[in-house]
Amino acid sequence: MEKRVIRRGQEELKKYVLDARLCTGCGACIDLCPYHRSHRGKTAVLFPCVVDEGRCFAYCPKVDVDLDMVSRHLFGRPYDGNPLGSYQSISATRAGGRLKNVASQAGGVVSALMYFALEKRYVSGAVLTDRRGLLPLPRFVTVPQDVLACAASKYTAAPTLSALNQAVEKGHRNIGLVGTPCQVLAAALMSSNPLKADDCVNPFGLVIGLFCTWAIDFRLFEPFLAGRIEIDRIRKIDIPPPPSEIMEVFGDSGTKLEIPLNEIRELVPNGCSYCIDMTSEFSDLSVGVMEGHPDMNTLIIRTDRGRRIVEEAAQEGYLTLSALPEENREHLIWAAGNKKKRGLSKARGEGMINTQGNETKSYLRISAEILEGLTA
Amino acid sequence: MSYLTDEKEGASCLVMGNEAIVRGALEAGVNVASGYPGTPSSEIIENLSKVAKEPNLYVEWSVNEKVALEVAAAASFSRLRALCVMKQNGVNVASDFLLHLAGSGTRGGFVMVTCDDPGALSSVNEGESRFFARLLEIPLLEPGNFQEAKDMTKWAFDLSEELRQIVVVRSVTRMSHASGNITYGRLPAEKRRAEFRFDGFALDPDEGIIISAPVAWKHQQQQEKIRKAREIFEGCPFNTYEGPERPDLLLITSSACYLYSREAVNVLGAEDRVGLLKMGTTWPLPPKLLAKHLSRTDKVMIVEEVLPFLEENVKILAAEQAAEIGVKTFYGKNDGTIPMTGEMNPDLVIAALSSVLGIDYVPVPEEYGREAQASVIARAPNREQVFCPGCPHRASFFSIHNALEMDNRQGFVCGDIGCYTMAIGSTGFNTLKTLHSMGSGAGIASGFGKLGQFGMDQPILAVCGDSTFYHAVIPALVNAVHNRSNITLVVLDNSGTAMTGFQPHPGLDHNVLGEAVPPIDIARICEGIGARVEIRDPFDLEGTRETLNELIEDTSGVKVLIMRKACALSPQRKNKKDYTVHVDETICIGEECGCGRFCTRIFGCPGLIWNAEKQKAEIDEVICVGCGVCADICPQGAIKREEVA
Amino acid sequence: MTAYRLPKDPYNIIITGVGGQGNVMASRVFSNMLVQKGFFVTIGETFGASQRGGSVMSHIRVSSKSTWSPQVPKGKADVVVTLEPIEAIRVLAGYGNPAVKVLTNTRAIYPAGVIAGRLSYPSLDEIKETLKKLSARAWFIDATDEAVKLGNAILGNIIMIGALSAVGDLPVGRGDFEAALSRTLPAEKMADNLTAFDLGVELMKQ
Repeated sequence: MEKRVIRRGQEELKKYVLDARLCTGCGACIDLCPYHRSHRGKTAVLFPCVVDEGRCFAYCPKVDVDLDMVSRHLFGRPYDGNPLGSYQSISATRAGGRLKNVASQAGGVVSALMYFALEKRYVSGAVLTDRRGLLPLPRFVTVPQDVLACAASKYTAAPTLSALNQAVEKGHRNIGLVGTPCQVLAAALMSSNPLKADDCVNPFGLVIGLFCTWAIDFRLFEPFLAGRIEIDRIRKIDIPPPPSEIMEVFGDSGTKLEIPLNEIRELVPNGCSYCIDMTSEFSDLSVGVMEGHPDMNTLIIRTDRGRRIVEEAAQEGYLTLSALPEENREHLIWAAGNKKKRGLSKARGEGMINTQGNETKSYLRISAEILEGLTA
Repeated sequence: MSYLTDEKEGASCLVMGNEAIVRGALEAGVNVASGYPGTPSSEIIENLSKVAKEPNLYVEWSVNEKVALEVAAAASFSRLRALCVMKQNGVNVASDFLLHLAGSGTRGGFVMVTCDDPGALSSVNEGESRFFARLLEIPLLEPGNFQEAKDMTKWAFDLSEELRQIVVVRSVTRMSHASGNITYGRLPAEKRRAEFRFDGFALDPDEGIIISAPVAWKHQQQQEKIRKAREIFEGCPFNTYEGPERPDLLLITSSACYLYSREAVNVLGAEDRVGLLKMGTTWPLPPKLLAKHLSRTDKVMIVEEVLPFLEENVKILAAEQAAEIGVKTFYGKNDGTIPMTGEMNPDLVIAALSSVLGIDYVPVPEEYGREAQASVIARAPNREQVFCPGCPHRASFFSIHNALEMDNRQGFVCGDIGCYTMAIGSTGFNTLKTLHSMGSGAGIASGFGKLGQFGMDQPILAVCGDSTFYHAVIPALVNAVHNRSNITLVVLDNSGTAMTGFQPHPGLDHNVLGEAVPPIDIARICEGIGARVEIRDPFDLEGTRETLNELIEDTSGVKVLIMRKACALSPQRKNKKDYTVHVDETICIGEECGCGRFCTRIFGCPGLIWNAEKQKAEIDEVICVGCGVCADICPQGAIKREEVA
Repeated sequence: MTAYRLPKDPYNIIITGVGGQGNVMASRVFSNMLVQKGFFVTIGETFGASQRGGSVMSHIRVSSKSTWSPQVPKGKADVVVTLEPIEAIRVLAGYGNPAVKVLTNTRAIYPAGVIAGRLSYPSLDEIKETLKKLSARAWFIDATDEAVKLGNAILGNIIMIGALSAVGDLPVGRGDFEAALSRTLPAEKMADNLTAFDLGVELMKQ
């Protein structure tokens, strides 16, 4: 393969992402090589690598991301800046009777879908996020029951994709992934074969994206909670839908800690403030809370693959589907649009958007026209 | 039997300078010898230990140089002949006791040998021990060749007994580690019996108590001894002169510099212009002898290592006697004729002499020199020092480096002296950030660990070797625990004093004489002091790294990680392969993304080489020692190891 | 002492290589061979830290008159024996002269910087060209490869000692080697060393 003159390797990744404090620790660059490791939520570069074009750079969702290329690759259509991304339909949903008593979040739909996909072998294994105390732990599971152990939101930024890289290295294909928008974007980049490698195969069987406004830096969160609750015995963490503006942390003995969200926002990684994706636009299916309905989820179906699995899961009683009320849809669009505008304005203000489509290193590549539209 | 004891009187033998010192001590009938290992001094105690049985010698590696000197002092106080050996750093360690010893005086002949290392060939300093002789007012001898190394050592015991004072014999690397022919003298038949007398008159030097007080009286006694030494040195045969009656230039020198100077005079063919005064007794200098030689010339050059010790002392004598000998022009270090740092060699003396004497000298034809220099630049890539193949330190520092990078808070490691000093360089992944004396890493870390109140939030680590742990780390560790300093100490326990040639230390179950002794367990010491202690095999890279991260994150105080793996050159590992290792070329991806030549470019074991033609890594069978660690660092699993049955 | 007239007095030998190749042992054994013949010999060597993969060097001064400096003056080597090829180049830059003889073991030990890819190592042809240019006579001996065939790579140093004795400037041979070695070596190791020595002598005939 002919080497490109312009380097897109570890050195550039370090300069434009890690040193620029854009990294959210998604794990896309972890376990591809011996140079990058994730520890307690932080991505570390152990040694300098001299490969000119690295997967670390190519998969990173925080550098030189060409949204139009990704959209065309996944959906066969250009990126148009729609607040919710490309999608086929939106529903209100909850886990069906086949999966009772799961300690999950809201409607339990993510667990139900991945459980179903694994049971029916739509996927051969699933990359999920477990936790120990507050520390998120990437996991690759191959048994449906193990999906349930990873249920419930973690909120802390997690190197989930490291487990994916490991699974791919071991030869697994047709993998299911549950991830945040940055992780889902990285997954989309991976599946697009950005380095044009001869032996690259799309490893994904189903990508479920989570709604996300921001994550929490584990290294800040742990000392923040230390002394207020026994960290090793946290049962569940939840942010009830607006307008509550609090985070709830439940201990296993029934204790409950309520923390105002404005305190939590202090713990958000810098990289999250540039994010323009609330609903994991580059997934097969996106799932999030449903405002005003703490036991329900909002489900966005984006691809045919996603739609078939949802329909079948509903038929077999793993899911119940209903129409999403118009006001919920409108609010979702409003919230997602706001996040886009906030992130883009900040990135543009700091000169991090490449509207020329050239080799300039930047955070995002996007057309000037769409950029104007979204930040107007 | 060793050739150091079995040869008859008058035999000529090729021996190392250190062996000559050993033979001298044996001919003096030394009874007790102690020391702490340190290049270039270690062979003295080693060789004495090998012959200890026959002449009924007691030899020990002591825990550090101060204790070594104290141990030897007990023998002298008991009317035995005692030898204590160390390198230049050790004199600093021992100097507190040495000061008091110089005040109290000695009984049986007591000789301290210090082997300095000008140019720091095997050291991290080129400290000068000679100044201690002047500072502490004790006699100093410097042998100028191998025969003198033997004869002077023997004589030093007699001198010590005559003066009732410790005598210092100072060698240098090029004397200690060089070899030459010497002629053996007689080994004594006399056997001494140890007895410590203390019930005579308190101030009696032979039967009183041994103390450095009353200070004024004792100090006066001490200076009286120096005056006596000066008298003796006036006629000492170790001060020699060769050259014309009235030389154009008097070259005063000592130690190995005598051999360089002699060579330089010879190379320049200046034998009838230069007088060579070699001083064997460099403190105190004999003033009359100096005056005699100084009065016969106008120009004086002084050649020595490292600092201008002889130069300054000669100048003082010259100034005091200026009325009789006249004013001289001095060439040496102070005027820049001779470099003030680093070791000397014949060429530096040739350069100095040829410039002062106005002789043109070209060592090789210019064209040849140019060609040779160009060839080195083009075709002799620099050979940096590296950890040996199979060295546990490479694995240890790989894990320490990775743990600190993963921790991501700008943590750093304070180091000290040992093979692991090389971790300041790429062979140890540039891990060490401070480097000073034995045990200093732990002490400095103890201080860093208290800077939290000034905003320091970087993790603090220190490393030390196992021998160093006993030598100087224990007090630092006590200090850190007691003062609630938050540090992680990594003890690189490779089961011996590896750097200097694998001398036993207090952690082992045998001593230098091969006797069974109780090993002192590092882990139990640390636990006893109150530190949290973990023990890992550094070849378990990931386990070690995880433990390190856990310890670094533990803010409860002092944590100790003992990395236990014998040195690759140790008797138990040398020439024994645990694994046969090979690279599966079909799996190795070389420079591709996912590896980028990780084993050869980053890990850097000399046993792994890069085959540029095939673009694959390869094992160098001649160099690989079969530790198998590289199999764990290969990201592709291309390095295969099979256990050797 | 000895009636033998050296081609030069002092006659200067430099044995060089990389830490761990048996440099010190080689210089000791060869020097003892000379001492047995009645010569004054002075050896200067660097070891200790330099042992750890660094360049090592032994300077051997042979004289029928006296002890000389443990360091050879610049440009004054008479023969250079090198256990590692590029070390010969390094030594010649300091101690070589147009009349020097060079005996080179051809087996490379790559410096860390070469293994890492920061530096490059010359080809054997380039090394040969350089050494021929910088010496009056150069011999190239596959000492390590031959020693591996004998079953122990470390014997490469003894093969080179055999070769050095075959240069002919000094009156030492197999008998001296055997006598010198028996002072320090257990009897069971003698046979291998003698075979290696003989092989070194043999290889110089080719």
